[in-house]
Amino acid sequence: MATTLAQNPAAPNSVNDPTNVVVETRNLGKIYRDFWGRKKVNALKSLDLEVRKGEIFGLLGPNGSGKSTTIKLMLGLLFPTAGRVFVFGKEATDVSKNERIGYLPEESYLYKFLNAEETLDFYGRLFDMSAEVRRERTEKLIQMVGLQRARRRQLREYSKGMTRRIGLAQALINEPEFLVLDEPTTGLDPIGTREMKDLILRLREEGKTILLCSHQLADVQDVCDRVAILHQGELKELGRVDSLLKVQDVTEIHASGLSEEAKKEIQGIIERSGGALKRMDNPTTTMEELFLDIVRESEQRPGRRGSNS
Amino acid sequence: MRLSPEQFWTYSEWLFQKNGLRDGFFLALVLAILGFVIGYIVAVIKHGPSEGFLQVARIIGQLFTVDIPKMSFRRIFAMAKLAIKESIRKKVLVVVGIFIVGMMFAGWYLDENADYPARLYISFVLTMTNYMVIVLGLFVSCFSIPADIKSRTIYTIVTKPVRPLELFLGRVLGFTAIGTLVLVAMGLLSYVFVVRGLRHTHETVSTSAEGTTGETSYANRHKHTYTLNESGRGTTNEVKGHRHIVEKVGDKIIVKKPIDDLTARVPVYAKSLAFTGRDGETNTGYNVGYMSEYQKYIEGDTLSSAVWRFEGVSPSLFKDVISYDMTISAFRTYKGDIVTPVGGIIYFRSIDGTAQTEPEAFKVKEFQVDRRTIKTKVKGSKDKKGSKDKQPAEIDFFKDIAPNGSFDVVIRCQDRGQYLGMAAADVYLRPNDLQFWWNFVKGYISIWLQMFIVICFGVMFSTFLSGPVAIIATISAIVLGFFGFFIDQIQSTNTKGGGPLESLIRIPLQSGSQLELDLGNEALQTAITKIDEQLLRAVVQLKNAVPNFDQLGTADFVAYGFNLFGGLLGRHLTIAFGYFILTSLVSYFFLKTREMAA
Repeated sequence: MATTLAQNPAAPNSVNDPTNVVVETRNLGKIYRDFWGRKKVNALKSLDLEVRKGEIFGLLGPNGSGKSTTIKLMLGLLFPTAGRVFVFGKEATDVSKNERIGYLPEESYLYKFLNAEETLDFYGRLFDMSAEVRRERTEKLIQMVGLQRARRRQLREYSKGMTRRIGLAQALINEPEFLVLDEPTTGLDPIGTREMKDLILRLREEGKTILLCSHQLADVQDVCDRVAILHQGELKELGRVDSLLKVQDVTEIHASGLSEEAKKEIQGIIERSGGALKRMDNPTTTMEELFLDIVRESEQRPGRRGSNS
Repeated sequence: MRLSPEQFWTYSEWLFQKNGLRDGFFLALVLAILGFVIGYIVAVIKHGPSEGFLQVARIIGQLFTVDIPKMSFRRIFAMAKLAIKESIRKKVLVVVGIFIVGMMFAGWYLDENADYPARLYISFVLTMTNYMVIVLGLFVSCFSIPADIKSRTIYTIVTKPVRPLELFLGRVLGFTAIGTLVLVAMGLLSYVFVVRGLRHTHETVSTSAEGTTGETSYANRHKHTYTLNESGRGTTNEVKGHRHIVEKVGDKIIVKKPIDDLTARVPVYAKSLAFTGRDGETNTGYNVGYMSEYQKYIEGDTLSSAVWRFEGVSPSLFKDVISYDMTISAFRTYKGDIVTPVGGIIYFRSIDGTAQTEPEAFKVKEFQVDRRTIKTKVKGSKDKKGSKDKQPAEIDFFKDIAPNGSFDVVIRCQDRGQYLGMAAADVYLRPNDLQFWWNFVKGYISIWLQMFIVICFGVMFSTFLSGPVAIIATISAIVLGFFGFFIDQIQSTNTKGGGPLESLIRIPLQSGSQLELDLGNEALQTAITKIDEQLLRAVVQLKNAVPNFDQLGTADFVAYGFNLFGGLLGRHLTIAFGYFILTSLVSYFFLKTREMAA
């Protein structure tokens, strides 16, 4: 897998074009009730949002904020108590919409007594695929998620990361136009996380729409075009990641090979023009970058201790 | 084994003449209305009257417009295959092992002194298989969907284009397949167990001087006597429900394997049984009290008789001899000579009474089948032309007595003060027997149908209940079926105080149940009675919605050596199909309206 990460600056083609809207929620609400019909939790309140064709849409929020409820409502696993949700213009309870959807649940809820090939074959059958198509897709997906060597092992023997991969493969078995990924990087090691993020980006390049729900803010920042932030069942923020994260009154300069004099001169220019220098320092890399560098180097020169130590 | 008349209705008789089809439709209608009303009430609580109605209408509409037409067999088979794998993973096949162990120990407990060891062996294996397979069906079917919901694997299923009916059908098909596998294994083992368990032979220990009669050795706790004909062939007497063929080969007399113990008699039953009283007038037979409610009685040494009317008996069924079986019982009003059985006479008569065979005396063989024959060319009497006087004559059975296959069989009791008891199924003609193994298979098909019904109910309940509760609900449905006769009693007997509506009106009026209800308005009272009739009918139909395993059991047919005839199996098949449709629809509505992630 390639390890290039890039923000996709391309906005959805047209915001107002209804054919571009994959998911639309209108005043969506969900109240959980107990057996006697008494209100237990108001999990989601009046949610209005759209997921547009070809974008990676992030759903963010702390535990209990209503993310999973929103996804379950979109998939028809729950029924709304208020408002409506449409997927590809159809009610979320319409089974036929599932032909075009792929879903990776929070934990890969798969049958542990099946092996990877049987799992993919089973889900392929659920899409009414012919044996030939199932074989071809199974082969392709097992290669893609890197489970060639574990293809005949029962899923009960899989590590968490492997389970995640086979979960993703089953979500892709029907080559879906819309992919719902609930915490896709949970349980993955940094390499797996990076590969997953690359894959998500690649899928977008193939024209798929992705709804991603995650606690890992870095993941969301890395891959999402737009995000919605939920808290206590309410939509708190909705917009493009780049514009949401942009700190308008701070300017960032990255330069290399500057002498101490040059640095002082830059500091002087900032002060003369009325600005305040907040920080001038050698940057640190992220832990993720550091880890990946070490692994990469170790793979190239096995047995040697990394140069960063 | 006692058969009630409805047990030998043919399939078409049951379906059309005995209202099987009409009652089925009525039941479907009652359930549909009930289902709609309950569904609507729930929808109204959730969504309000108009939106609730729309919701219910949409679900019903989608069933016919989308969910049935777009069903995919590939998806159903995929889920069936998954259910099979799941069952195998749960080590369901261990049941076969337990069955083998059960059979190994059975040999210790099956009574070797039994009068009919074949019955005992066959009853044992069929009953054991029946219970084990039903329990198996119960457990696999009730826990599957709840387990999927608990482990949330259902999320990955219902987010695929899987329709509710496919979810139900896949499970039912899968569990039925695994149950069938277990049943086939049990069937083969049982067959071997029965055949090997009963197989035995004897040596000859004593032979008469002329060499035509003798006695066999003591084996399997019994011995026989035998008689040989001139050509050196013959049979032993019947002991413990079987005989042996005996053959003289050279100087040696060889006793072969048992016969008659594993049979499949194909009884030809009478269409009706009528009685005449002691004065010769038609009556319904005498009731001797709680001795027997199944059989009615005729009085000895009077004009009292029992007349079975056979119709449409084909001459092709019998060559020179007509075989028939009798299971008549006796009721003694005085002890008398207790060793000598009560006697009777039997004769065959044409329907118009113009010809009859010579009466043949018999002694009642109580609690066993009396195997009898009559030649097709036999002595009897015929009316003289133009008069009612009977003249002794040679009778050709199918020419004089049953020219169109219809005739009467008449039985009278000869002993004064004693009674003979009989029911419609107690005299039947017995053309050639069928193969036992095929009857055995049919017995297993019957068990299979019961298992199938249990699986349908189990999966249905598991679509809206948790596993253990679904088990209790399914068991309750099975047990309730056994108490159906209470409801039948309520409808058939004239209940005091009227039906449900009338009783309800009587409570505030404080009207005693012994009095006629007086509302001062005849039209209103008639309306109440009519409504009550329909309500009671609906209750009876609802009772029929619960499977009656007592009636579905056919082990006795196989054990007692009766051919499990197609009509009965066809009826059971139809009933099972009815339950399949019922449980499919109920499951559809529950799966369609259930929040899988709730």
